[in-house]
Amino acid sequence: MKQDRSTTLYLGPQHPGITGNMMIKLQLEGDTIVKATTHVGYLHRGFEKLIERRNWLQSFTILCRMCVPEPDPNEENYARAVEQIEGREVPERAKYIRVLVLELARLASLLLWYAGQPGSAGLYTMGQWSVGDRNYILDLFEELTGGRIYHMYIWPGGVRRDLPEGFGDRVLKVMDYLEKRWKDYDRLMFDNAIFQKRAKGVGIINPKKAREWGVVGPPLRGCGIKSDVRIDEPYEVYDKLDFQVPDMYKDGDVWSRALVRRFEFLQSISIVRQVIEKMPQGPVFNKIPNPHKWVVPKGDALVKTETVRGESAFYVVSDGSNKPRRVHLKGPAYIHGFTLLEDVLVGANLADVSFIMNSLGTCPPEMER
Amino acid sequence: MSFFNIKGTVNPLTALAQFAKKPHTLRFPEVEVEAKDRYRGVHYNDLQACIGCGNCSTICMNEAIDMINIAGIDSSKGDTGLRPRVDNGRCCWCALCVEVCPTGSLSLTKDYIYVTEDADAFLWTPGVDNPEGVNLKSFVSSKEHSLNVYGRVPMKELVGMERVKSFAEVVLGYEEAEARLEASRCISCGICTEVCPEHMHIPEYINAIAAGKDEDALRIIYDNNPFPEMCGKVCTRRCEEVCAMTHRGVEDDPHDKGAIAIRWLKRYVTETAPTAERIKEIVNPEISESNGFKVSIIGAGPSGLTAGYYLALRGFDVTIYEALNKAGGMTMWGIPKYRFPMDSLDKQVEYMESIGVKIKYNTRVGVDIQFDDIYSNSDAVFLGIGYQKAWTLGIDGDDMPGVIAAVDYLREINGGGTLDVGNKVVVIGGGNVAIDGARVSARHGADVTILYRRRVQDMPADWEEIEGAEHEGITIVPQGIPVKFIAGDDGKVKYVRYLKAEMKVEKEGARPSPVAIEGSETDIEVTTVIGAIGQEADYSFIPESFKDKIEINRGRIITYEYNQTKDPKVFAGGDTVNKTADAISAIADGFQAVKGIVKMLLKEE
Amino acid sequence: MEQELLDLLVEHFQDRIAGSVKSDKRVEIFTSTSAIEDVLMYAKNVLGYIHLVHFSCVDWIEENEFELMYAIFSPKSKITIMSKVRVDRENPVAPNIDYIWRHANTFEREIREMFGIEFTGLIAEKEMILEDWIEMPPMRRDFDTAEYAKKTFFDRPGREDAQDVRETIIKRTGEELPEFSKKYSR
Repeated sequence: MKQDRSTTLYLGPQHPGITGNMMIKLQLEGDTIVKATTHVGYLHRGFEKLIERRNWLQSFTILCRMCVPEPDPNEENYARAVEQIEGREVPERAKYIRVLVLELARLASLLLWYAGQPGSAGLYTMGQWSVGDRNYILDLFEELTGGRIYHMYIWPGGVRRDLPEGFGDRVLKVMDYLEKRWKDYDRLMFDNAIFQKRAKGVGIINPKKAREWGVVGPPLRGCGIKSDVRIDEPYEVYDKLDFQVPDMYKDGDVWSRALVRRFEFLQSISIVRQVIEKMPQGPVFNKIPNPHKWVVPKGDALVKTETVRGESAFYVVSDGSNKPRRVHLKGPAYIHGFTLLEDVLVGANLADVSFIMNSLGTCPPEMER
Repeated sequence: MSFFNIKGTVNPLTALAQFAKKPHTLRFPEVEVEAKDRYRGVHYNDLQACIGCGNCSTICMNEAIDMINIAGIDSSKGDTGLRPRVDNGRCCWCALCVEVCPTGSLSLTKDYIYVTEDADAFLWTPGVDNPEGVNLKSFVSSKEHSLNVYGRVPMKELVGMERVKSFAEVVLGYEEAEARLEASRCISCGICTEVCPEHMHIPEYINAIAAGKDEDALRIIYDNNPFPEMCGKVCTRRCEEVCAMTHRGVEDDPHDKGAIAIRWLKRYVTETAPTAERIKEIVNPEISESNGFKVSIIGAGPSGLTAGYYLALRGFDVTIYEALNKAGGMTMWGIPKYRFPMDSLDKQVEYMESIGVKIKYNTRVGVDIQFDDIYSNSDAVFLGIGYQKAWTLGIDGDDMPGVIAAVDYLREINGGGTLDVGNKVVVIGGGNVAIDGARVSARHGADVTILYRRRVQDMPADWEEIEGAEHEGITIVPQGIPVKFIAGDDGKVKYVRYLKAEMKVEKEGARPSPVAIEGSETDIEVTTVIGAIGQEADYSFIPESFKDKIEINRGRIITYEYNQTKDPKVFAGGDTVNKTADAISAIADGFQAVKGIVKMLLKEE
Repeated sequence: MEQELLDLLVEHFQDRIAGSVKSDKRVEIFTSTSAIEDVLMYAKNVLGYIHLVHFSCVDWIEENEFELMYAIFSPKSKITIMSKVRVDRENPVAPNIDYIWRHANTFEREIREMFGIEFTGLIAEKEMILEDWIEMPPMRRDFDTAEYAKKTFFDRPGREDAQDVRETIIKRTGEELPEFSKKYSR
């Protein structure tokens, strides 16, 4: 009698490895994965459809919700796309504030990754620390924008409000604190023998195939490929800021990707400091017309942003009416969560699934929107 | 990696040092955390400042805001009486409602903790359910951050001293781009339509203009106003006084307060139809089959013409009797042509005639045709006779040559006459008619002085008329009470003697009234005195026997629903009926009478 | 540089493509379903446009067409080419390109499900995001979300007393709004 040695396991959809509601159908032999299939549909809110029935301004309050841990790039992307179609100028100060917000969001999101990555290997202390530290950034957001998670702050034409009195100093204080903490994280996480053992040689992406597979962001840089939208196509004021993009981690495994993020954490802190230092005075909003009657001329724009998970691209189309024709987001997770994850998981150990998912940044709210 | 990684084992243990440190967490609820100054918590609404425009409800992309009636808030002019209620279960705290609130009454607060098991209890009426929110306001609306555009697109005009050289129109009108921009400021609340006597479809036509559909806008206007060009140029525009944009537009624009330029937009739209044929082409009205009923209208003023136009559309046989040789009533004879050019009116009348309104010019009822004949030959009669007769000044010497009435003067000039007023004119009065008389005289080369009993701010004339007069070099002497006209050698008036007055408040809270100062007599030399202190109707054409049947009280015809008089067959409208005595009220009267006549004769709603 | 790239493409494909320089770092080309594979292959293998940035679809229902947009990026020139292809709405078929870029597979699955465009030779599970969906592909413009929501879900009771501001005033004043003008009300 022939025995079938394979097992089918449905992982999810309740937050497998803390990245959100999705499900992976795993074909196992023993505890080795022979086939993985991503199943989504648990988090589809139809934002792109909803936007068709909302005007250009109303849309911006929905779009940030496309990614929970890092909503600001979506706001910024949409705003920039609309500005491009319309030819609307953005005040210089607003651009600096946008970069400030984007980098703070990157830090907040990296801190979540600092929780998720070791957390999925069973190192829970790290998560307590980094999520707690993230709150200091959320406090800054609360002060700046009025919201902690969804800021709805960057909108077409600029930003909603200027920095509060003394905000820069408070940001710098948090930056100093985070820089100190970064060393603590090192001791607890990167020095940790268990983490190293779990991360090295796991979830390898073939550097030769990376581009073809559409890999972006830290996973791509973790293959030793220097690619970052902030450098390739500098947006807002990134061309006036000094920062480095790592290309020295070449192994393409979870460990390399972790080192990339560890490196970028410090880069972001440096960018924030530069922004605070260089920020000019001036207006922060080039006022839009009455939002009910605000018509954007016919046209389309493709804009990209480097989010913490990689390149995110917005395709915004206007048919010349007061509502967008189409707003289509390709988030990095859209690539990393489907084809790439399915490929990388083959041959991996069952226990490493959520570990690998965390390192790729699979974000279901972004995958199905 | 060695088999035993010492650093990798020891370093993580340094975390134990945290035990000796102060925790980062706060012990809630013993320790309360106050939200930051911009926090976006639950809404608070200042119920008194709110006007219920519903802009918050429209911008809400979650449809979380309903406008509801609540106890204690009554509707009034400029306030719908509705207030927002938020479904906090749907709200996403984007605060766009705050950013678009035209009055700034709505804000978000620092209050963010609310726990209940009842999902329906998430419906909150801000300000009613959380009066304490007034002290917790955090994300507030400000003019600086508001998404409303408070400033009006300025209207171009001829410069002051250029104007007096001719009767060219002073206001130059909006260009297309300016009109679109101005129209796009409107938030479409419709509060303006309530104070408009005619309840024109203001948000609809403004939105049509904003959308670039000028012809649709004109069609919408013609739905209940056949004089868009007249109203676009000389309407008293009470609509603009209550515009939602006025609540915060005061600083930049003390007169219009940043109200949407409803009148100028209407004017702009009429420019798409420069001829009567074009009006007909665009409006393309549906004209009903003749229904055999005859309606006679006395007086081709705004009310009579309006009634005539809409009755003709409904298939009535309409005849208008006009004593003079042109239609338009006071708007034709009383408004100077630099405000309202002749052809503006002519093409509107021509259009009406083209759809079947018959106007019998030079037919004075009571002289050329008897009222009784008209009455007995018609199924309904509409009286739109207006105030033609000027009040006499009642001052010693007011019957002497050189003392004339403004309405007579304007009628003469508008009719193409050349009444010479000389080079020194004094106008007595402070209403629009007085200013018109003054500005017309100035255009004939006179030095003009306006003598008014009260202060400038008390003048009933439109501010822009007063300002226009000042720009044209007209002197306004406020607080001056004329007491005597003194004749010269030729028997014509030569001096006006007036007393200076001081303003005294007779009764607490009452409007201050002028009291003459003894011994302050001043004489001004004049060639002509123009009196403009008011007009009244001339009912002499109505047989005495009939006057009782229609009730005339203190110079006014008493009307009931649909502007019907006591005699069900007779309807009336215009200055003789309403108290506001302006063109738009007259149009409204005419329109109401049409409804009444249709209801009475066609027996339909 | 953008212009050079465009010239190169036009020279190679002659009248099979048309295009323009859209803006800084953006070149827009219009081509057909029959040429798109060749264009993308050429751009990827010869010109070095190795990264598929975005792959989107827009429903131009007024023109009875779908528009597919393939955005490809070259790390060398840093230019993004936006290639656009129109597909007939009645018979929406486009070539499959997941052999050129592996991840195009995901885009195609979603476009197939949301717009109903078939990609010849696409091997992938039919159902992606939607489950047991029997309506028309929902991202088509003629799919009415509001109506679907009304049909499928119910409103929570308690909000029936909501008033329309304009209606309230109309009721109070007796204004009669003509039917044709209602589309301009808010």
